[in-house]
Amino acid sequence: MSDISSDTLAAGRGDQNGKVETSHHPKTDPKQDKKGYYGIPPIKHAHWTWQIPVYFWLGGITAGVALFTAVSKLVGKEDPAVTRLGRYFSVLSMMLSPVLLIWDLGRPERFLNMMRIWKLRSPMSNQSWSLVAYGNVSGILMLKQAAEDGFMGKGALPRLVARLVPDRVLQVLALPLALFIGSNTGTLLSATSVPIWARNWMLMGPTFLASGVSTGLSFISLVLNLLRTGRRDTHHTLQRAEKVMLLAETGLIVASLARMSRWGKPLYTGKVGALFIGGTLLGGIAAPLALLFSGNETRNKSMLTSVLVLLGGLAFRFALVLAGRKSADDPQAYFSFARGDNAPQPGDKI
Amino acid sequence: MATGFLTDTTVCIGCKACEVACKQWNQLPADGYELKGHSYDNTGHLSGTTWRHVAFIENPKKQRRLSGDVDLIALAGDVTETLPGNAELDGLGRWNFMSDVCKHCVEAPCQQACPTGAIIRNEFDNVYIQPDVCNGCGYCVPACPYGVITQVPNDGRAFKCTLCYDRQRDGLEPACAKACPTNSIMFGDVEDLKVIAAERVATLHSKGYDNAFVYGTPEIGGTGGIGGNHSKFILMDEPETYNLPAHPFMPQDKVKGAFVASSIAAAALAAVVALTFRD
Repeated sequence: MSDISSDTLAAGRGDQNGKVETSHHPKTDPKQDKKGYYGIPPIKHAHWTWQIPVYFWLGGITAGVALFTAVSKLVGKEDPAVTRLGRYFSVLSMMLSPVLLIWDLGRPERFLNMMRIWKLRSPMSNQSWSLVAYGNVSGILMLKQAAEDGFMGKGALPRLVARLVPDRVLQVLALPLALFIGSNTGTLLSATSVPIWARNWMLMGPTFLASGVSTGLSFISLVLNLLRTGRRDTHHTLQRAEKVMLLAETGLIVASLARMSRWGKPLYTGKVGALFIGGTLLGGIAAPLALLFSGNETRNKSMLTSVLVLLGGLAFRFALVLAGRKSADDPQAYFSFARGDNAPQPGDKI
Repeated sequence: MATGFLTDTTVCIGCKACEVACKQWNQLPADGYELKGHSYDNTGHLSGTTWRHVAFIENPKKQRRLSGDVDLIALAGDVTETLPGNAELDGLGRWNFMSDVCKHCVEAPCQQACPTGAIIRNEFDNVYIQPDVCNGCGYCVPACPYGVITQVPNDGRAFKCTLCYDRQRDGLEPACAKACPTNSIMFGDVEDLKVIAAERVATLHSKGYDNAFVYGTPEIGGTGGIGGNHSKFILMDEPETYNLPAHPFMPQDKVKGAFVASSIAAAALAAVVALTFRD
């Protein structure tokens, strides 16, 4: 035998035996022990770039801001500073969100085709329509705010606008829309063939919503602190709400990870793991909770907390989108998911 | 009438005429001269610019670990595998080929996902992307349980097999089926193909190939929630060997459930925020 063949076939070198893949010794190739076709992913990952996680983040903040402003109005403890911020921010967000989403389209000039139909089973379609609806309601509410703030000058027009716009009704009507936008960012991911997302279909929406509300509360708190405005009791309520919301978010994330079980592996490994554990769990939840539960409320501490929560929420969305990419590219994850009762099936009880 | 493919992998010889015919007829751009280096298949997978793909699967019947000085020539002469009917085959391994294509699901996840309504079922009951409507949102890509549909980077839109809609309109069979020299790719009425597939599998079973089965029917192989495929395959090994999922599922089945769960969560979170306003 020549040196080459004895080298590749020699005893005691089993690990290197599979370097040359032929039908003569395929079993020694470690890749062949796994199911699949040369490790080529059986499904394709989403092409989404940074615009999508940033939009998810923005949508979550919008939901949180809408929730706090609407509830404060409903319980009769409205703070004009919060209401003003909420109304202007909603419109800004509803202008930025479509820009981000259209930017990500392969054919941006055809963005209006999203409005051709409304498909209840497509979270992408529901999302487009909810953005249109909430954007319009926000626009009307902002008109009233602008009239009250004197941006329309003085005269009959601002008085007419302020009187005609039923802000209380609109604010309450807008709330479900905003909450839908916040939760649908998670549902949108779960309605795919990607194991890590599809496995957690039930908790994706709630987790994204809880995370969104906590970022929204932090956003209000941060802006009020930066502008040195807002009532004292508003700041106090925001702090309390942030505590509760971060705890709710923690619970939902833990439950999600339990539900994802072994398909959640991308969230613990590699750069995505570092982003998720360091950025979201430690930086975005543990550190703000420690700050919130320690000592007195000071302006600087509150602002630091808010920034941490906001960054943690952004890291959470990037981590989940990137983990989905890794999950889709892992043939073993998909094959094990698409066997047995692991994937959602029509006959499922839940 | 619903039309579809039946790809009988047992008679595929891996000539790739279907790949070439598809590329030519549909004027699909080249994917580049990429050498994968693991088999004669340098295409790898289906994509927006490759609508037929022939997989080259090396199927070693006997798994043996060789050690010491091995006389390969003597080994090759010695090793045989007994087949049904006392036939013998070189036991060192053999090829399995499969010409993969869009499965044209009866209830297509890509169609459910499409927010523009670009993906429709045409008059032949095939899943068809209207290129003049698609705006390239890419949401159909992760929805597809088979990794068929892909966004084409330079174009921006998503593409996949049209089942040669244009040829069918003119009463012709799809280019791949026309080009196939062994009739591994059969085209026709789905109901007829079902019968042909059942007969072929029965024949294979009677010859002793017990592992032959039809992939893509709701009954056998399992297509939970997507109601089977109009492109069926006769396979000789477990689906994963061909890079196919054993039990594909409908991702949109849980959209309603997710909405209910999110609504409950939203109500709970709103109540919690309302409670924090109490002094």
